[in-house]
Amino acid sequence: MSNYFYVAPEQLIRDRAEFAQKGIARGRSILGAIFDTGVVVVAENPSASLFKISEIYDRIAFAGVGKYNEFDRLREAGIRWADSTGFTYSRGDVDVRALANYYAQHLGDMFTEGQKPLEVEILVAQLGNSTRPTKLYRIAYEGTIADEPRFAVLGGDAETIKARFAASEDSLEPLTTTLKNAVGALAGPDRTIAVSDLEVGILEDRGERRTFTRLNDDQVSELLR
Amino acid sequence: MGLPLFNTSDDPGPSFFHFAQSTGLTPPVSSASATSAHATTVIAVRYQGGVVMVGDRQATGNYIASRDVRKIEAADRFTAIAISGTAARGIEFIRMAQLSFEHYEKMTDTTLSLEGKANYLSPIIQRNNLSSPLLVLPLLAGWDVALRVGRIFEYDGAGGCYERFDFSTIGSGTPFAEGTLRLGFNAELDRDGAIELGALAMYEAGDNDPSTGGPDFVRHLFPMIVTISSDGFQELEHDDVAERFRVINERRTQSGGVAGGSLR
Repeated sequence: MSNYFYVAPEQLIRDRAEFAQKGIARGRSILGAIFDTGVVVVAENPSASLFKISEIYDRIAFAGVGKYNEFDRLREAGIRWADSTGFTYSRGDVDVRALANYYAQHLGDMFTEGQKPLEVEILVAQLGNSTRPTKLYRIAYEGTIADEPRFAVLGGDAETIKARFAASEDSLEPLTTTLKNAVGALAGPDRTIAVSDLEVGILEDRGERRTFTRLNDDQVSELLR
Repeated sequence: MGLPLFNTSDDPGPSFFHFAQSTGLTPPVSSASATSAHATTVIAVRYQGGVVMVGDRQATGNYIASRDVRKIEAADRFTAIAISGTAARGIEFIRMAQLSFEHYEKMTDTTLSLEGKANYLSPIIQRNNLSSPLLVLPLLAGWDVALRVGRIFEYDGAGGCYERFDFSTIGSGTPFAEGTLRLGFNAELDRDGAIELGALAMYEAGDNDPSTGGPDFVRHLFPMIVTISSDGFQELEHDDVAERFRVINERRTQSGGVAGGSLR
Protein backbone atom coordinates (compact mmCIF):
# COMPACT_ATOMS: atom_id res chain seq x y z
CA MET A 1 0.00 0.00 0.00
CA SER A 2 1.34 3.38 -0.96
CA ASN A 3 1.06 6.48 1.16
CA TYR A 4 -0.41 9.72 -0.17
CA PHE A 5 0.70 12.84 1.60
CA TYR A 6 -1.81 15.59 1.85
CA VAL A 7 -0.88 18.75 -0.01
CA ALA A 8 -3.15 21.75 0.42
CA PRO A 9 -4.59 22.92 -2.92
CA GLU A 10 -3.24 26.43 -2.29
CA GLN A 11 0.24 25.00 -1.91
CA LEU A 12 -0.11 22.90 -5.08
CA ILE A 13 -1.22 25.86 -7.17
CA ARG A 14 1.53 28.04 -5.71
CA ASP A 15 4.17 25.46 -6.53
CA ARG A 16 2.94 25.03 -10.07
CA ALA A 17 2.75 28.77 -10.64
CA GLU A 18 6.25 29.24 -9.31
CA PHE A 19 7.52 26.50 -11.59
CA ALA A 20 5.92 28.04 -14.68
CA GLN A 21 7.02 31.57 -13.80
CA LYS A 22 10.61 30.45 -13.39
CA GLY A 23 10.59 28.88 -16.84
CA ILE A 24 9.06 31.94 -18.47
CA ALA A 25 11.37 34.38 -16.68
CA ARG A 26 14.40 32.73 -18.29
CA GLY A 27 13.38 33.92 -21.76
CA ARG A 28 13.41 37.45 -23.12
CA SER A 29 10.31 39.56 -23.38
CA ILE A 30 8.00 40.41 -26.25
CA LEU A 31 6.00 43.58 -26.76
CA GLY A 32 2.95 43.88 -29.00
CA ALA A 33 1.42 47.30 -29.67
CA ILE A 34 -1.25 48.85 -31.85
CA PHE A 35 -0.08 51.69 -34.10
CA ASP A 36 -2.16 54.01 -36.28
CA THR A 37 -2.58 51.61 -39.20
CA GLY A 38 -1.79 48.19 -37.74
CA VAL A 39 -0.27 46.03 -35.06
CA VAL A 40 3.45 45.57 -34.43
CA VAL A 41 5.02 42.78 -32.38
CA VAL A 42 8.66 43.09 -31.30
CA ALA A 43 10.78 40.36 -29.74
CA GLU A 44 14.36 40.16 -28.67
CA ASN A 45 15.52 37.04 -30.48
CA PRO A 46 19.13 36.33 -31.44
CA SER A 47 18.03 33.44 -33.67
CA ALA A 48 17.13 34.30 -37.26
CA SER A 49 15.27 31.06 -37.86
CA LEU A 50 13.57 29.98 -34.63
CA PHE A 51 10.83 32.54 -34.67
CA LYS A 52 8.75 33.75 -31.75
CA ILE A 53 6.34 35.78 -33.90
CA SER A 54 4.27 34.11 -36.63
CA GLU A 55 1.32 34.38 -38.95
CA ILE A 56 -1.80 32.45 -37.95
CA TYR A 57 -4.30 33.74 -40.49
CA ASP A 58 -5.08 36.61 -42.84
CA ARG A 59 -5.41 39.14 -40.01
CA ILE A 60 -4.12 37.21 -36.99
CA ALA A 61 -0.59 36.98 -35.59
CA PHE A 62 0.86 34.88 -32.79
CA ALA A 63 3.79 35.43 -30.42
CA GLY A 64 5.10 33.24 -27.64
CA VAL A 65 7.68 33.42 -24.85
CA GLY A 66 9.02 30.62 -22.69
CA LYS A 67 9.76 27.10 -23.87
CA TYR A 68 10.06 27.08 -27.65
CA ASN A 69 8.72 23.54 -28.20
CA GLU A 70 5.67 24.28 -26.10
CA PHE A 71 4.60 27.54 -27.73
CA ASP A 72 5.50 26.27 -31.20
CA ARG A 73 3.00 23.46 -30.77
CA LEU A 74 0.39 26.02 -29.76
CA ARG A 75 1.27 28.06 -32.86
CA GLU A 76 0.75 25.01 -35.09
CA ALA A 77 -2.56 24.22 -33.44
CA GLY A 78 -3.64 27.83 -34.00
CA ILE A 79 -2.82 27.69 -37.72
CA ARG A 80 -4.69 24.41 -38.06
CA TRP A 81 -7.67 25.71 -36.18
CA ALA A 82 -7.81 28.91 -38.26
CA ASP A 83 -7.32 27.18 -41.62
CA SER A 84 -9.93 24.53 -40.92
CA THR A 85 -12.44 27.08 -39.58
CA GLY A 86 -11.96 29.21 -42.70
CA PHE A 87 -12.25 26.12 -44.92
CA THR A 88 -15.45 24.96 -43.22
CA TYR A 89 -17.19 28.35 -43.07
CA SER A 90 -15.55 31.34 -44.74
CA ARG A 91 -12.34 33.27 -44.30
CA GLY A 92 -14.28 36.13 -42.71
CA ASP A 93 -15.54 33.84 -39.95
CA VAL A 94 -12.13 33.30 -38.42
CA ASP A 95 -12.09 35.45 -35.29
CA VAL A 96 -9.27 35.90 -32.83
CA ARG A 97 -11.46 35.81 -29.73
CA ALA A 98 -12.48 32.18 -30.29
CA LEU A 99 -8.84 31.21 -30.77
CA ALA A 100 -7.72 33.12 -27.66
CA ASN A 101 -10.39 31.30 -25.64
CA TYR A 102 -9.22 27.90 -26.87
CA TYR A 103 -5.66 28.79 -25.94
CA ALA A 104 -6.80 29.96 -22.50
CA GLN A 105 -8.76 26.75 -21.92
CA HIS A 106 -5.86 24.58 -22.98
CA LEU A 107 -3.33 26.44 -20.84
CA GLY A 108 -5.76 26.33 -17.91
CA ASP A 109 -6.27 22.58 -18.32
CA MET A 110 -2.56 21.94 -18.51
CA PHE A 111 -1.97 24.06 -15.43
CA THR A 112 -4.42 22.15 -13.25
CA GLU A 113 -4.45 18.70 -14.82
CA GLY A 114 -1.25 18.32 -16.80
CA GLN A 115 1.89 16.57 -15.67
CA LYS A 116 3.40 20.02 -15.48
CA PRO A 117 2.10 23.44 -16.46
CA LEU A 118 3.23 24.83 -19.81
CA GLU A 119 6.07 27.29 -19.34
CA VAL A 120 4.74 29.75 -21.88
CA GLU A 121 2.92 33.01 -22.23
CA ILE A 122 1.35 33.90 -25.55
CA LEU A 123 -0.04 36.86 -27.43
CA VAL A 124 -2.62 36.69 -30.22
CA ALA A 125 -3.29 39.85 -32.19
CA GLN A 126 -5.94 40.67 -34.72
CA LEU A 127 -5.91 43.53 -37.22
CA GLY A 128 -9.38 45.00 -37.33
CA ASN A 129 -11.50 45.83 -40.36
CA SER A 130 -15.03 47.10 -40.95
CA THR A 131 -16.56 44.12 -39.14
CA ARG A 132 -14.02 43.32 -36.43
CA PRO A 133 -11.99 45.33 -33.93
CA THR A 134 -8.22 45.37 -33.61
CA LYS A 135 -7.40 43.16 -30.63
CA LEU A 136 -4.50 42.08 -28.46
CA TYR A 137 -5.05 39.10 -26.17
CA ARG A 138 -2.38 38.02 -23.71
CA ILE A 139 -2.77 34.54 -22.30
CA ALA A 140 -0.71 33.49 -19.29
CA TYR A 141 0.60 30.04 -18.33
CA GLU A 142 -2.36 29.29 -16.06
CA GLY A 143 -4.98 30.28 -18.63
CA THR A 144 -5.63 33.84 -17.52
CA ILE A 145 -6.70 35.81 -20.56
CA ALA A 146 -6.30 39.57 -20.75
CA ASP A 147 -7.78 41.85 -23.39
CA GLU A 148 -5.15 44.57 -23.72
CA PRO A 149 -6.42 47.88 -25.07
CA ARG A 150 -3.23 49.38 -26.53
CA PHE A 151 -0.21 47.17 -25.91
CA ALA A 152 0.81 43.93 -24.21
CA VAL A 153 4.08 42.70 -22.74
CA LEU A 154 4.97 39.04 -22.25
CA GLY A 155 7.86 37.39 -20.47
CA GLY A 156 9.89 37.62 -17.32
CA ASP A 157 10.56 41.31 -17.15
CA ALA A 158 7.02 42.29 -18.18
CA GLU A 159 6.22 44.73 -15.38
CA THR A 160 9.26 47.00 -15.86
CA ILE A 161 8.92 46.97 -19.64
CA LYS A 162 5.24 47.71 -19.32
CA ALA A 163 5.97 50.73 -17.14
CA ARG A 164 8.56 52.02 -19.63
CA PHE A 165 6.28 51.67 -22.64
CA ALA A 166 3.26 53.10 -20.79
CA ALA A 167 5.24 56.32 -20.38
CA SER A 168 5.00 56.90 -24.15
CA GLU A 169 2.17 58.76 -25.86
CA ASP A 170 -1.32 57.41 -25.19
CA SER A 171 -2.68 58.01 -28.70
CA LEU A 172 -1.99 55.78 -31.70
CA GLU A 173 1.21 56.79 -33.47
CA PRO A 174 2.90 55.87 -36.74
CA LEU A 175 4.85 52.61 -36.97
CA THR A 176 8.26 54.30 -36.71
CA THR A 177 7.41 55.93 -33.38
CA THR A 178 5.70 52.86 -31.93
CA LEU A 179 8.57 50.61 -32.98
CA LYS A 180 11.17 52.98 -31.47
CA ASN A 181 9.23 53.12 -28.21
CA ALA A 182 8.83 49.35 -28.16
CA VAL A 183 12.53 48.69 -28.75
CA GLY A 184 13.42 51.34 -26.16
CA ALA A 185 11.10 49.76 -23.61
CA LEU A 186 12.49 46.26 -24.26
CA ALA A 187 16.11 47.46 -23.99
CA GLY A 188 15.77 49.76 -21.01
CA PRO A 189 17.87 52.85 -20.32
CA ASP A 190 21.25 51.12 -19.94
CA ARG A 191 21.43 48.96 -23.00
CA THR A 192 20.76 48.89 -26.72
CA ILE A 193 19.56 45.87 -28.70
CA ALA A 194 21.33 45.18 -31.99
CA VAL A 195 19.01 45.12 -35.01
CA SER A 196 20.14 41.56 -35.76
CA ASP A 197 18.77 40.53 -32.34
CA LEU A 198 15.33 41.95 -33.05
CA GLU A 199 12.43 40.04 -34.52
CA VAL A 200 9.64 42.27 -35.76
CA GLY A 201 6.31 41.20 -37.23
CA ILE A 202 3.52 43.49 -38.31
CA LEU A 203 -0.12 43.19 -39.33
CA GLU A 204 -1.00 45.94 -41.79
CA ASP A 205 -3.37 46.34 -44.74
CA ARG A 206 -1.50 46.51 -48.03
CA GLY A 207 -4.43 45.78 -50.30
CA GLU A 208 -3.88 42.03 -50.05
CA ARG A 209 -5.77 39.31 -48.24
CA ARG A 210 -2.85 38.39 -45.99
CA THR A 211 -1.66 41.19 -43.74
CA PHE A 212 1.25 39.66 -41.81
CA THR A 213 4.86 40.51 -42.67
CA ARG A 214 8.07 39.73 -40.90
CA LEU A 215 10.43 42.68 -41.28
CA ASN A 216 14.03 41.98 -42.25
CA ASP A 217 17.03 43.67 -40.62
CA ASP A 218 17.27 46.38 -43.30
CA GLN A 219 13.61 47.29 -42.93
CA VAL A 220 13.94 47.42 -39.14
CA SER A 221 17.09 49.63 -39.29
CA GLU A 222 15.32 51.92 -41.74
CA LEU A 223 12.34 52.31 -39.39
CA LEU A 224 14.52 52.85 -36.31
CA ARG A 225 16.66 55.52 -37.97
CA MET B 1 -13.74 22.43 -33.59
CA GLY B 2 -11.53 22.72 -30.52
CA LEU B 3 -7.82 23.41 -30.51
CA PRO B 4 -6.32 20.69 -32.76
CA LEU B 5 -3.36 19.42 -30.75
CA PHE B 6 -1.51 16.22 -31.68
CA ASN B 7 1.10 13.95 -30.17
CA THR B 8 4.41 13.90 -31.96
CA SER B 9 3.68 10.42 -33.31
CA ASP B 10 0.34 11.18 -34.95
CA ASP B 11 0.98 14.79 -35.93
CA PRO B 12 -0.08 15.34 -39.57
CA GLY B 13 2.77 17.81 -40.17
CA PRO B 14 2.46 20.80 -42.50
CA SER B 15 0.11 19.05 -44.95
CA PHE B 16 -3.37 20.51 -44.70
CA PHE B 17 -4.84 17.62 -46.67
CA HIS B 18 -3.59 15.03 -44.19
CA PHE B 19 -4.74 17.16 -41.30
CA ALA B 20 -8.19 17.54 -42.91
CA GLN B 21 -8.40 13.78 -43.39
CA SER B 22 -7.42 13.07 -39.80
CA THR B 23 -10.15 15.35 -38.51
CA GLY B 24 -12.85 14.25 -40.98
CA LEU B 25 -13.00 17.64 -42.69
CA THR B 26 -12.85 16.11 -46.18
CA PRO B 27 -15.85 14.05 -47.31
CA PRO B 28 -15.48 10.30 -46.87
CA VAL B 29 -14.58 8.28 -49.92
CA SER B 30 -17.64 6.71 -51.51
CA SER B 31 -18.53 4.94 -54.71
CA ALA B 32 -21.92 6.47 -55.49
CA SER B 33 -22.77 6.21 -59.16
CA ALA B 34 -22.90 9.44 -61.07
CA THR B 35 -20.95 10.30 -64.14
CA SER B 36 -19.89 13.49 -65.73
CA ALA B 37 -18.17 14.39 -68.96
CA HIS B 38 -15.01 16.45 -68.89
CA ALA B 39 -16.82 19.33 -70.46
CA THR B 40 -14.16 22.00 -70.56
CA THR B 41 -11.16 23.27 -72.39
CA VAL B 42 -8.20 24.71 -70.54
CA ILE B 43 -4.94 25.32 -72.37
CA ALA B 44 -1.47 26.06 -71.02
CA VAL B 45 1.31 27.23 -73.33
CA ARG B 46 4.87 27.77 -72.27
CA TYR B 47 6.72 30.81 -73.58
CA GLN B 48 10.11 32.40 -73.00
CA GLY B 49 9.15 34.25 -69.83
CA GLY B 50 6.44 32.08 -68.32
CA VAL B 51 3.18 30.30 -69.07
CA VAL B 52 -0.06 31.46 -70.69
CA MET B 53 -3.31 29.78 -69.69
CA VAL B 54 -6.62 30.05 -71.49
CA GLY B 55 -9.82 28.63 -70.04
CA ASP B 56 -13.38 28.50 -71.38
CA ARG B 57 -16.23 29.72 -69.20
CA GLN B 58 -19.00 27.23 -69.83
CA ALA B 59 -20.41 24.75 -67.32
CA THR B 60 -22.20 21.95 -69.11
CA GLY B 61 -24.57 19.34 -67.75
CA ASN B 62 -27.43 18.11 -69.91
CA TYR B 63 -27.72 21.73 -70.93
CA ILE B 64 -25.55 24.82 -70.48
CA ALA B 65 -25.67 25.49 -66.76
CA SER B 66 -23.50 28.59 -66.68
CA ARG B 67 -21.61 30.75 -69.15
CA ASP B 68 -19.27 32.61 -66.85
CA VAL B 69 -17.52 29.98 -64.74
CA ARG B 70 -13.88 30.58 -63.79
CA LYS B 71 -11.88 27.41 -64.32
CA ILE B 72 -8.46 28.92 -63.69
CA GLU B 73 -7.55 30.27 -60.29
CA ALA B 74 -4.38 31.51 -58.64
CA ALA B 75 -3.24 28.88 -56.18
CA ASP B 76 -0.73 31.36 -54.86
CA ARG B 77 1.23 34.28 -56.29
CA PHE B 78 3.29 32.20 -58.74
CA THR B 79 1.01 29.23 -59.34
CA ALA B 80 -2.18 28.77 -61.32
CA ILE B 81 -4.46 25.80 -61.09
CA ALA B 82 -7.17 24.85 -63.59
CA ILE B 83 -9.82 22.14 -63.40
CA SER B 84 -11.80 19.92 -65.67
CA GLY B 85 -14.37 17.34 -64.63
CA THR B 86 -17.05 17.52 -61.97
CA ALA B 87 -17.59 21.11 -60.88
CA ALA B 88 -18.24 20.40 -57.21
CA ARG B 89 -15.12 18.28 -56.82
CA GLY B 90 -13.12 20.70 -58.92
CA ILE B 91 -14.00 23.67 -56.77
CA GLU B 92 -13.22 21.73 -53.60
CA PHE B 93 -9.96 20.67 -55.19
CA ILE B 94 -8.94 24.26 -55.93
CA ARG B 95 -9.81 25.37 -52.39
CA MET B 96 -7.85 22.46 -50.96
CA ALA B 97 -4.82 23.24 -53.12
CA GLN B 98 -4.86 26.97 -52.35
CA LEU B 99 -5.19 26.36 -48.64
CA SER B 100 -2.63 23.55 -48.59
CA PHE B 101 0.11 25.70 -50.15
CA GLU B 102 -0.58 28.55 -47.74
CA HIS B 103 -0.89 26.18 -44.77
CA TYR B 104 2.49 24.65 -45.56
CA GLU B 105 4.02 28.11 -45.81
CA LYS B 106 2.65 29.21 -42.44
CA MET B 107 3.50 25.97 -40.65
CA THR B 108 7.09 25.73 -41.86
CA ASP B 109 7.99 29.32 -42.76
CA THR B 110 9.16 28.17 -46.19
CA THR B 111 7.38 28.14 -49.54
CA LEU B 112 6.87 24.83 -51.35
CA SER B 113 8.80 24.49 -54.59
CA LEU B 114 6.71 24.35 -57.77
CA GLU B 115 7.60 20.70 -58.20
CA GLY B 116 6.66 20.08 -54.58
CA LYS B 117 3.24 21.60 -55.21
CA ALA B 118 2.79 19.50 -58.37
CA ASN B 119 3.65 16.26 -56.56
CA TYR B 120 1.51 17.17 -53.56
CA LEU B 121 -1.61 17.15 -55.75
CA SER B 122 -1.02 13.60 -57.07
CA PRO B 123 -2.38 11.59 -54.12
CA ILE B 124 -5.33 13.98 -53.76
CA ILE B 125 -6.33 13.34 -57.39
CA GLN B 126 -5.72 9.64 -56.99
CA ARG B 127 -7.83 9.45 -53.86
CA ASN B 128 -10.70 11.24 -55.58
CA ASN B 129 -10.61 9.56 -58.95
CA LEU B 130 -10.01 5.97 -57.92
CA SER B 131 -12.80 6.01 -55.38
CA SER B 132 -15.49 8.10 -57.05
CA PRO B 133 -16.99 8.51 -60.50
CA LEU B 134 -17.02 12.26 -59.89
CA LEU B 135 -13.72 12.77 -61.62
CA VAL B 136 -11.54 15.79 -61.47
CA LEU B 137 -8.44 16.45 -63.57
CA PRO B 138 -6.44 19.57 -62.90
CA LEU B 139 -3.67 21.36 -64.70
CA LEU B 140 -0.96 23.14 -62.76
CA ALA B 141 1.23 25.87 -64.19
CA GLY B 142 3.55 28.28 -62.51
CA TRP B 143 6.66 30.35 -62.46
CA ASP B 144 9.51 28.42 -60.85
CA VAL B 145 11.20 31.09 -58.73
CA ALA B 146 14.30 28.95 -58.23
CA LEU B 147 14.86 27.93 -61.86
CA ARG B 148 13.35 31.14 -63.28
CA VAL B 149 11.24 29.41 -65.94
CA GLY B 150 7.56 28.78 -66.48
CA ARG B 151 6.56 25.14 -65.96
CA ILE B 152 3.47 23.08 -66.74
CA PHE B 153 2.34 19.89 -64.96
CA GLU B 154 -0.47 17.69 -66.20
CA TYR B 155 -2.05 14.65 -64.53
CA ASP B 156 -3.61 11.40 -65.61
CA GLY B 157 -6.77 9.99 -64.04
CA ALA B 158 -4.87 8.00 -61.45
CA GLY B 159 -2.95 11.01 -60.20
CA GLY B 160 0.23 10.52 -62.23
CA CYS B 161 2.03 13.84 -62.62
CA TYR B 162 3.87 14.69 -65.84
CA GLU B 163 5.79 17.81 -66.68
CA ARG B 164 5.20 19.23 -70.16
CA PHE B 165 7.82 21.38 -71.78
CA ASP B 166 5.65 22.77 -74.58
CA PHE B 167 1.91 22.94 -73.91
CA SER B 168 -0.92 20.99 -72.36
CA THR B 169 -4.70 20.91 -72.55
CA ILE B 170 -7.41 19.34 -70.45
CA GLY B 171 -11.11 18.76 -71.04
CA SER B 172 -13.38 17.62 -73.85
CA GLY B 173 -12.06 20.23 -76.30
CA THR B 174 -8.56 18.74 -76.11
CA PRO B 175 -8.43 17.11 -79.60
CA PHE B 176 -9.26 20.38 -81.34
CA ALA B 177 -7.14 22.61 -79.14
CA GLU B 178 -4.22 20.20 -79.26
CA GLY B 179 -4.26 20.10 -83.05
CA THR B 180 -3.93 23.86 -83.22
CA LEU B 181 -1.21 23.93 -80.57
CA ARG B 182 0.81 21.24 -82.31
CA LEU B 183 0.85 23.19 -85.54
CA GLY B 184 1.46 26.59 -83.96
CA PHE B 185 3.88 25.93 -81.11
CA ASN B 186 7.57 26.67 -81.19
CA ALA B 187 10.05 27.06 -78.36
CA GLU B 188 10.77 30.71 -79.21
CA LEU B 189 7.25 31.95 -78.57
CA ASP B 190 7.05 35.24 -76.67
CA ARG B 191 4.20 36.30 -74.43
CA ASP B 192 2.08 37.78 -77.19
CA GLY B 193 2.68 34.84 -79.49
CA ALA B 194 1.71 32.38 -76.79
CA ILE B 195 -1.45 34.32 -75.97
CA GLU B 196 -2.43 34.41 -79.62
CA LEU B 197 -1.79 30.70 -80.08
CA GLY B 198 -3.69 29.84 -76.91
CA ALA B 199 -6.65 32.00 -77.94
CA LEU B 200 -6.71 30.42 -81.39
CA ALA B 201 -6.65 26.92 -79.90
CA MET B 202 -9.54 27.91 -77.64
CA TYR B 203 -11.43 29.30 -80.64
CA GLU B 204 -11.03 25.94 -82.40
CA ALA B 205 -12.19 24.00 -79.34
CA GLY B 206 -15.21 26.28 -78.93
CA ASP B 207 -16.00 25.90 -82.60
CA ASN B 208 -15.95 22.08 -82.59
CA ASP B 209 -16.68 20.89 -79.08
CA PRO B 210 -20.29 21.38 -77.91
CA SER B 211 -19.22 21.43 -74.27
CA THR B 212 -16.65 24.21 -74.64
CA GLY B 213 -17.80 27.80 -74.60
CA GLY B 214 -15.87 29.80 -77.16
CA PRO B 215 -16.04 33.60 -77.41
CA ASP B 216 -19.61 34.77 -76.90
CA PHE B 217 -20.01 38.01 -78.86
CA VAL B 218 -23.70 38.25 -78.03
CA ARG B 219 -23.24 38.34 -74.25
CA HIS B 220 -19.76 39.78 -74.47
CA LEU B 221 -18.35 36.86 -72.47
CA PHE B 222 -14.90 35.57 -73.39
CA PRO B 223 -12.61 32.77 -72.27
CA MET B 224 -10.27 33.90 -69.53
CA ILE B 225 -6.59 34.37 -70.27
CA VAL B 226 -3.89 34.55 -67.59
CA THR B 227 -0.12 34.71 -67.59
CA ILE B 228 2.18 33.44 -64.87
CA SER B 229 5.64 34.98 -65.03
CA SER B 230 8.21 36.58 -62.76
CA ASP B 231 5.52 39.21 -62.13
CA GLY B 232 3.24 36.50 -60.73
CA PHE B 233 -0.28 35.51 -61.71
CA GLN B 234 -1.93 38.13 -63.94
CA GLU B 235 -5.28 38.01 -65.64
CA LEU B 236 -5.71 39.85 -68.94
CA GLU B 237 -8.25 42.67 -68.99
CA HIS B 238 -11.65 41.85 -70.44
CA ASP B 239 -11.28 44.34 -73.32
CA ASP B 240 -7.85 43.00 -74.22
CA VAL B 241 -9.22 39.44 -74.40
CA ALA B 242 -12.27 40.60 -76.36
CA GLU B 243 -10.07 42.33 -78.94
CA ARG B 244 -7.90 39.24 -79.47
CA PHE B 245 -10.93 37.03 -80.08
CA ARG B 246 -12.52 39.67 -82.29
CA VAL B 247 -9.45 39.62 -84.56
CA ILE B 248 -9.54 35.81 -84.85
CA ASN B 249 -13.27 35.86 -85.48
CA GLU B 250 -12.90 38.53 -88.15
CA ARG B 251 -10.24 36.50 -89.95
CA ARG B 252 -12.40 33.39 -89.79
CA THR B 253 -15.44 35.27 -91.06
CA GLN B 254 -13.50 36.51 -94.08
CA SER B 255 -12.29 33.02 -94.92
CA GLY B 256 -15.83 31.72 -94.74
CA GLY B 257 -15.03 29.48 -91.80
CA VAL B 258 -12.01 27.87 -93.43
CA ALA B 259 -9.23 27.37 -90.90
CA GLY B 260 -6.40 26.13 -93.10
CA GLY B 261 -3.23 27.65 -94.52
CA SER B 262 -2.34 31.28 -93.94
CA LEU B 263 -5.95 32.04 -93.07
CA ARG B 264 -5.66 30.56 -89.59
